[in-house]
Amino acid sequence: MPAKRALIMHPSDNVATTVEEIQAGEEVAIPMGRKVLSICAIEAIPFGFKIALQDIPRGEIIRKYGETIGTAGTNIAKGALVHIHNLEGTRARGDLERRDKG
Amino acid sequence: MSFLGYVRSDGSVGTRNYVLVIPQGIISKSICDFVTGTKSILTVDHGSGRTANDRETIARVLIGLGRNPNVASVILHAASPGVGYPELRAERLADEIARSGKRVEILDAARDGGTYGAIVKGIQLARQMAYEASKLRRKEVGDEHLCLGVKCGYSDTTSGIAGNPAVGYLYDKIVAAGGTAMFGETTEIIGAEHVLAKRAATPQVAQAILDAVLVQEARAKATGLDIRTVNPVPSNIKGGISSLEEKSLGAIHKAGTAPIQGVLKYAERSQGKGLYFVDNWMGHLSIFAGYAAAGANIVLFQLGGGGVTGRTLLEGSPSVVAPFLWTTANPKTYAAARDSIDFYSGTVIEGSETPEEAGERLYRTVIDIASGTLSRSETLNYSEPIDMYLQEPRF
Repeated sequence: MPAKRALIMHPSDNVATTVEEIQAGEEVAIPMGRKVLSICAIEAIPFGFKIALQDIPRGEIIRKYGETIGTAGTNIAKGALVHIHNLEGTRARGDLERRDKG
Repeated sequence: MSFLGYVRSDGSVGTRNYVLVIPQGIISKSICDFVTGTKSILTVDHGSGRTANDRETIARVLIGLGRNPNVASVILHAASPGVGYPELRAERLADEIARSGKRVEILDAARDGGTYGAIVKGIQLARQMAYEASKLRRKEVGDEHLCLGVKCGYSDTTSGIAGNPAVGYLYDKIVAAGGTAMFGETTEIIGAEHVLAKRAATPQVAQAILDAVLVQEARAKATGLDIRTVNPVPSNIKGGISSLEEKSLGAIHKAGTAPIQGVLKYAERSQGKGLYFVDNWMGHLSIFAGYAAAGANIVLFQLGGGGVTGRTLLEGSPSVVAPFLWTTANPKTYAAARDSIDFYSGTVIEGSETPEEAGERLYRTVIDIASGTLSRSETLNYSEPIDMYLQEPRF
């Protein structure tokens, strides 16, 4: 069975966006220039969601489009789904301001 | 390249040819019900209890719509609750619209025999104006006469990968041809403002982009909320967008790669041509009327996925006088609302087209609609009320 596809937006990204529905255990092919990176999805990843291309330790920056889209809220394993449960937004966080002010 | 448009006396070129009747109310509604080729605006706000700044914004919307190149002539009535304020007096609005060389007539219920009398006089005037307008023929003109406005909405990850890049290609092409293109949605550039600031034509423009974000982010933080409880909206999150930064970084692709010439207020007309950032709000019932008031003669809504299910009717047309296009790159959205969508670029994700090929196809679609083909939403005689972007408290 051919591998499912995901797209990387910039060479420095540590996540890719899936363009097919992916089941746990399936191989995901990510074109990177002339090479194709192959990653095993460790959980189901729906169409249009993000897969971790490497282990991303908690607090580390998550990059898409070559830019910061947030930080890891937990340790994220290679091949895992990256979404609101494990990605923290860093901008316009009124809740954090309030907590910092006590 | 070129399109077929209506050349106005001030040199601007329309893609449509309407008689505009403003502001809203029973007089405008009655005239438009009776007379073909007319347009009016539906709003909740007419300025009563609004601050001077907000009243000036309302005036900017009404004057701007009147001056829009898609408008042949204008009827103003002086029966709106807002006309008591100096900014919104019918004579003031009429004078500023008339500077564009268009015929402008004022109906005054007090002078013209009350509301009924004003309606009768308005119908007579509008029929005459619609007849005169119909004598104008489209002529071939260059793309420098196009003025575009865009918003992306119900965004998902297909928006950032394929939908917005197709619009970005169109934007680059129109700007390169000497045209004007506007994008905005200040909340949705938070996290991407540094990328846009690098593209500013001057250091002042870069600072204005950063300042707009600073003000908006401070407002967001003052709520004490995690912005993700507000924006990205639930449909964005359901579509795979995980943070406001991710949404913003995808959203800016619709602006192409041209230098940014300036930062405009809501409904403010640019001084020159090229690409402009508008400090506006994302609501589609707000943003498109603002673009039309700023002179847009065609507008696009680039749609993601969330909330669009089987056989959805996308109604649209909140741009009053500017043709309104729906575009999407989401295959499920396209399948669910095929008869409402003007352009599909999911082909880029499927691998059957390059982003450039999709962008070129979007360009041809825009030229075709600018030249007179109806957009899908224009085939419906329906529009939601406009929510003008007023930012100050009401009293």
